[in-house]
Amino acid sequence: MTTPKVFAWLLATAGWLWSGVALAGATAEPAASQASADRSAVAEKVDSLLAQELYLKNPKSALAPLVSDEVFLRRAALDVIGIRPSQAQMALFLLDPSADRRQKLVDRLLADPRFGRNWGRYWRDVVMYRRVEDRALISAAALTTFLTDALNDGQGWDQIAETMIEAKGNVMESGPTGLIMAQTANADDVAAEVSRIFLGIQIQCAQCHDHPTDRWKREQFHQFAAFFPRMQLRPIQYQGMMRGFEVASVQFEPRFRGPMPGRGSLEHYMPDLKNPSAKGQLMTPVFFATGRKLPTGSSDDERRTSIAEWITAREDGWFAKAFVNRVWAELVGEGFYEPVDDMGPGKACSAPATLAYLAEQFAARSYDVKWLYRTIMATKLYARESRPRRTANEMPFAANCAQRLRGDQLFDMLTLSLGVEVPGYFGGGPYAAISSPRAQFNTVFGYDPSQRRDEVSGSISQVLSMMNSRLVSRGLDGHSTDTTLGRLLVQFKDDDTLIAELFSRCLARDPNGQELTVCREHVKHAGSRAEGFEDVLWGLVNRTEFIYRN
Amino acid sequence: MTSNFQHHVGVAVNRAGVIGRRDFVRGLSLASAAAGSLAWTDLLSLHAAELRRRQMSCILLWMQGGPSQFETFDPKPGHESGGETKAISTAIPGVQFADNLPHLAKAADRLAIVRSMSTKEGNHQRASYLLHTSYVPLASLRHPSVGSVIAQQLASAACELPSFVRIGNGFANTSNGGFLGSEFDAFAVQSAGQLPENAQPSGSAERFQQRLALLSRMEQTAIANPGAQQDHAKLYAHAARMIQSSQMQAFDLSREPDKVREAYGKTSFGNACLLARRLVESGVTCVEAALPGWDTHFDNFTKTRSLCSQLDQPFAYLLKDLDERGMLDRTLVVWMGEFGRSPRINPRAGRDHFPRAFSVALAGGGIRGGRVLGGTDRGGEEVAGPAVSEKDLFQTIYKSLGIDAAKEMMSPIGRPIKFVDGGRPVAELFS
Repeated sequence: MTTPKVFAWLLATAGWLWSGVALAGATAEPAASQASADRSAVAEKVDSLLAQELYLKNPKSALAPLVSDEVFLRRAALDVIGIRPSQAQMALFLLDPSADRRQKLVDRLLADPRFGRNWGRYWRDVVMYRRVEDRALISAAALTTFLTDALNDGQGWDQIAETMIEAKGNVMESGPTGLIMAQTANADDVAAEVSRIFLGIQIQCAQCHDHPTDRWKREQFHQFAAFFPRMQLRPIQYQGMMRGFEVASVQFEPRFRGPMPGRGSLEHYMPDLKNPSAKGQLMTPVFFATGRKLPTGSSDDERRTSIAEWITAREDGWFAKAFVNRVWAELVGEGFYEPVDDMGPGKACSAPATLAYLAEQFAARSYDVKWLYRTIMATKLYARESRPRRTANEMPFAANCAQRLRGDQLFDMLTLSLGVEVPGYFGGGPYAAISSPRAQFNTVFGYDPSQRRDEVSGSISQVLSMMNSRLVSRGLDGHSTDTTLGRLLVQFKDDDTLIAELFSRCLARDPNGQELTVCREHVKHAGSRAEGFEDVLWGLVNRTEFIYRN
Repeated sequence: MTSNFQHHVGVAVNRAGVIGRRDFVRGLSLASAAAGSLAWTDLLSLHAAELRRRQMSCILLWMQGGPSQFETFDPKPGHESGGETKAISTAIPGVQFADNLPHLAKAADRLAIVRSMSTKEGNHQRASYLLHTSYVPLASLRHPSVGSVIAQQLASAACELPSFVRIGNGFANTSNGGFLGSEFDAFAVQSAGQLPENAQPSGSAERFQQRLALLSRMEQTAIANPGAQQDHAKLYAHAARMIQSSQMQAFDLSREPDKVREAYGKTSFGNACLLARRLVESGVTCVEAALPGWDTHFDNFTKTRSLCSQLDQPFAYLLKDLDERGMLDRTLVVWMGEFGRSPRINPRAGRDHFPRAFSVALAGGGIRGGRVLGGTDRGGEEVAGPAVSEKDLFQTIYKSLGIDAAKEMMSPIGRPIKFVDGGRPVAELFS
């Protein structure tokens, strides 16, 4: 904190806030300090492995300096709970004199239920951006709820994965069915997604033909798909109409086995490329990574329970690596493997020993998701300043990397910064969640989180939305007493204080001297004070910094 | 985003191997700064530059739901499959259309009808994806839609409007840029006749300018992320230029003489066709206009009659209008849906999905009008003679627009993907 002006008003309240938290923390001291030592030890080891693998070999590459508390706070809050810190959180953290305040901040953020919501939405997007049909979206809300609760409850990643692979039931009620619904229960597509999402391996490239540079053969893909033929998407009634679906098991061979996906079948056949209309070759279920297999004739339950268990077993290691690689990429801005879901033997890894160590430690802690966040966020690398995405011949992991906010994060940031309230849903029915203001916003601003982040581009529609949409202009009315800006104009008579207040609301930081001058000048020359500040607030939410996590 | 930036991205995707698009653009600006010129990229994109000069564009009339060939371009009067639909003669000697399409029958000399389309996808979404990308949907990869590819290949930097515009609601993920990036997503206009959403600044033009100036001063006071800030500034400049551009008048249909508006029919789809023409005239590269409602499982004959009455006059007049303005040769018009309808009429007087044999219509863009290619057997059950696949159709579309369909785009997982993988252009349509 260089300019304490903006927080001056908070000093008074922060005192009691802080004492309350310190008191609450005191009772859990011994366990917490053990966890804290564990996290520090692993984080230090990660930094030293990075040094061995990369930094010492590239002595000319300068590492980025560590960030200030102010930047760390905004970064950590966006990363964990998906939104900037509240002003109370800012005061709490920035006024905390203790040496381990960053660790305590991360712990507080991970205990916040918004952690599960933020990452539940992330994983919903991982699944739903690859849907083969839009009607899969009817399962999106239940999927998000399931993931949110599982992550907040501290379920292991293995348990979450197994639940999703074994899922059955009404797709609008049983959230774990979302992955299967997104692929309409089609064996080939579900197999491809299970491998991509949970193992980081794109085995479906071998679906149609053997490729000379690929390790996996076509037969191995179809042996893997043979774990999933007995699933079926069955139409069911929802609210009195035939417009719902359930994931069910097939017990008998269906009468017609046409090209329609999701119809279910007792066994999986590898198509004959020379004769596509023939039935093809019967496949035995075999897991390509370890060679474990089941006999044909096994039930749907046997197949899915077995593959779920074998995928999450610690023996081949890809399951842990795939999750670590993703979370790492989100937190430091670049994956060990890129894209994050294209790993596997034969692919380039930028720091293999570091990843292997972190993945082993993660697996050894029963795939404890929050532990992984705690640990990565305790590394030096996490706390380094952001630099633009490195070019191909620059050393990886010399700095953190700025990331564009995901649609949900930006929506929350916008409504919080402008102080506007938005209804969650309009109307009812299976598609209600899809037509909500948040979902509409996401169709414009969302992106597939498996994409390399520097390849996510902005669009004209996004810019028009930020500049002119009703959502934004509603919050900008300085003349109204119903808007947050209107109230702030009354509350803060001093222009500099109000400028600082708006910076803190939008960017979670103080304005620098130049920014203060630019805004002050603008307000002075505007038609009225209210108009001037409307423009300042408009400018703040339209800045690059607003849509990025630095 | 149409700008030199996009033009460079296009080159990068075609040429740069597995390196990412942004890496390439950054590498390019460094290299060009060092060399003081961009000459070599100009060489790479000579072909594209030449096409941009020719200003080829495409209008896709998307019949959402799957239009019945029996009630449009391939009637079967007198056969059980034909149902109650009658046929009328057309400007092409010996060729009949359904009597639902009197205007198009007269305009048939501008149309090439392919009656031998055949695909394997009978599910709406999968088939919509197929007929927008020429690829079956894959869990691992989002292919760019035809409009996005056309925009990426042909967009003109001089146009201040988005290069790819979609009119009306459709399935959002059938008209997006896929792995080419959201900058190639269709710019969506809810309905023709009003300004696009959020295109109107909330205050005066002067106030808008002041805000933009404030924003740009604010951006310069703290440069934390130069690459992103540069892209951001370009995008804002483009959006601001667009909404203040006189070319935005293209969206204002009231600028057309009433006679022309009447000729298009003042219906929702008529307005969409008129808007498509106005946009192409203003330099937009691809326009997709949807006419929904073709999923006629019930009451097929009444419904298709109503749908055809919405389609017939605007479509016919669009061709006439483009022709009279000298734009038809450089504008390819494609009429299609995701599949056709079944020869069998179900007990509810409906027709079900039928991808095995159906019709699409093409006009302009160097396609010879006044002909019918291929056909179906007497009951419309099978294609008689060689079938035209979705790949053949896309090869034909790209050939008409002068785009090399064998060109490869680099997918995010480092696999080259051709614009169209296989198939060949239907040569007879060009001769």
